Amino acid sequence: MSMAPQTAHPPLPAARAGATEPAAPITAEAEASARQARKKNRLVALAFLAPFLVAFLLFVVWPMLHGFYLSFTNQSLTGAGGNFIGGGNYAEAFSDPKVWGSIRNTVWFTIISTVPLVIIAMAMALLVNTGLPGQWLWRLSFFMPFLLASTVISQIWSWLLDPEIGLANEVLQTLGFEPVAWLQTPHLDLISITIATVWWTVGFNFLLYLAALQNIPEVQYEAAAVDGASRWRQIRSITIPQLMPVTGVVFVLQILASLKLFDQAYQMLGGVSSDTSRPIVQYIFEAGFVGYEFGYAAAISYVFFALIVVVGIVQMTIVNRRKGE
Amino acid sequence: MITRRQLLGGVGALAGAGALAGCSPTGAPPGADTLQFWHLLSGGDGVTMQSLLDRINESQDDYFVRPTVLEWGTPYYTKLAMAGSGGRAPEAAIMHSSRVPGYVPGGLLDPWDTGRLAELGVSRDTFTGPMWNNSLVGDQLYSVPLDAHPFMMFSNREVLRQADVLEDGGFPAVSTPQDFVDVLREITAAAPEHGLSYGFIGDGAQMWRLFYTLYAQHGAEMSFPQGGSAQIDDEAAVESLRLMSQLVDGEIASSQGTIDAGIAEFSAGSSGLLFSGVWELPPMQDAGIDVNIEMIPPVFGQHAVYADSHAFVLPHQQDPDPEKREDTYAFVAELLKNSFDWAGAGHIPAYVPITEDPQYDELQPQANYAGAADHIVYDPKSWFTGSGANFQADFGQVVQDSIRGGDGFQEAVDGLRSMVDAILAEPNPVDPEGTWNP
Repeated sequence: MSMAPQTAHPPLPAARAGATEPAAPITAEAEASARQARKKNRLVALAFLAPFLVAFLLFVVWPMLHGFYLSFTNQSLTGAGGNFIGGGNYAEAFSDPKVWGSIRNTVWFTIISTVPLVIIAMAMALLVNTGLPGQWLWRLSFFMPFLLASTVISQIWSWLLDPEIGLANEVLQTLGFEPVAWLQTPHLDLISITIATVWWTVGFNFLLYLAALQNIPEVQYEAAAVDGASRWRQIRSITIPQLMPVTGVVFVLQILASLKLFDQAYQMLGGVSSDTSRPIVQYIFEAGFVGYEFGYAAAISYVFFALIVVVGIVQMTIVNRRKGE
Repeated sequence: MITRRQLLGGVGALAGAGALAGCSPTGAPPGADTLQFWHLLSGGDGVTMQSLLDRINESQDDYFVRPTVLEWGTPYYTKLAMAGSGGRAPEAAIMHSSRVPGYVPGGLLDPWDTGRLAELGVSRDTFTGPMWNNSLVGDQLYSVPLDAHPFMMFSNREVLRQADVLEDGGFPAVSTPQDFVDVLREITAAAPEHGLSYGFIGDGAQMWRLFYTLYAQHGAEMSFPQGGSAQIDDEAAVESLRLMSQLVDGEIASSQGTIDAGIAEFSAGSSGLLFSGVWELPPMQDAGIDVNIEMIPPVFGQHAVYADSHAFVLPHQQDPDPEKREDTYAFVAELLKNSFDWAGAGHIPAYVPITEDPQYDELQPQANYAGAADHIVYDPKSWFTGSGANFQADFGQVVQDSIRGGDGFQEAVDGLRSMVDAILAEPNPVDPEGTWNP
């Protein structure tokens, strides 16, 4: 429909030609019509973007600005308050041990989940890529958990890890170990959530790695084999270096996903929050929706936002420096 | 291999089933006012409530009650608070009584007119003392209880009989913690698994329910004055924690039982006793257990039982329609008078004429524990306590290690006090300026 004029009179190349090749003869009419086409083109583009832009403004930009404003008020979810209190919420957030404790939990979770999510995914992809029989079965079973909703995996794992009737303790006891209260013991709770998360999401990284592996040209291995390189040597000198770009992508995606930890932690612990497992996103939720302190919740989310921006800048500098090399 | 289409088909079928499961209320008769009524009762409770509502809707033409069922816990209370703050709330709603004191200061609820209720046969005399007093904030009535759902001791009579401790169809009379533990050991010896099923681990609410029952048995009170300091009887608190830790020694009860595991164990007939809320009665009856329910024995001197109530409230409306208000009063009074079936779900109906009815004696085992309504203790009144609030979970964090470890009880009580004091120093978020006066 509205794509038709674009394909009929490609205005962009014409415009560009006018700009880069001043020597070409241009009549005034041609330039005017090009300008008109450009204008029309911009309007068409805007029309296409409009639905997204409206949603973006309404649900991203406006809440961000309004949230920032709220963080300086004592607004309550119940409509009470709403008066400007300056930096009071920020002062409270910086001195609230639960804020720092839950940021620590989130960061700790990010570290202990990202590393296995990269290493295990890579190992699984390497194994499957060696040409094991029944490739589709491996691919399917490694990727399948990723398709489940967070609610489903939370249910599965809270039953598996139940201290009394869970499979995990059944296995431990059969092997002669003491049973463990996985989700109810301080510090162990976050590790249990990490185990469930790794099982759940490792399939996505596995798929990225598998695709990357299949892109490595076979000739490189052949050349290495001719030179007498062992299998292990081939992996070290060909496969792993070639996987570096995708590893970078996986790391970035993983860190961002892990910092957002909430669903499975909230659900596996049945909404109970413990000081050793409460992620920062859950604390924001608790402050705003259980404690009704919207202003305070907004302030904490901006503190967290600032931290993520710092992480982003560090990441960008590293990536840019690497590109420079 | 499952194809993508099969998978999507399966997901679609599930979603369809979910949509069909939603209730489809019949329409309002012409000319009747529609009363919006929010509640958080799901499962068996939800079915019972719906049948009570259906009966009321069919019995008259003045009004039609249209229920909205929301998920219990934080989601429900968040939405109710927002509805009240907007001033366009439903005509009536159910809340846990323990949450009412937190809602009143923000002007989220309208008080009940006791005179108008009395005309409809609902008054101070038709509730037990603890229930009525708990419904007051200041001297205004802000909630009308439908029931009490106390935390009780379930027993499997068959196991008690095998242990040779059954007395008058129930648990033998004991009056000290030591006697209690001794009887529990006898039951443990006869039971297939544990003597007692008590899920508590990682569940602050379960720990609080037992703790506060035992604490109140001392005759001790606990109060949390806003801006002040928590009033806690240290000795009673320490003794209560000590008994709890004696019970979860790994033999009498599991030292790491979750609430689900405890219920599963008892309903499988593998234990003699269960500490739980009365709402677990129907599943136990369905499981074919010869079940009795009674109060946890008064080992510290007095009968006391932790409970909460489902109660009717009037969420704040900016401009209540006088006719609908009239209908709302009639509806609540009518539902209370017809709440006999509510006992089927295990709850003790709050409206005293129901439990005093001779017919109620035939309801077993409900009739055995209706008397618990006289000994109810509710959460200390404050804006941060109550069912589904953070306080109970935080309590669990503070005491769980001492209960499991068998020491550090005084430190746990100190921890509780400093935790509460920190909250008391903060303003009530529904009234951050502290402008509300009772």
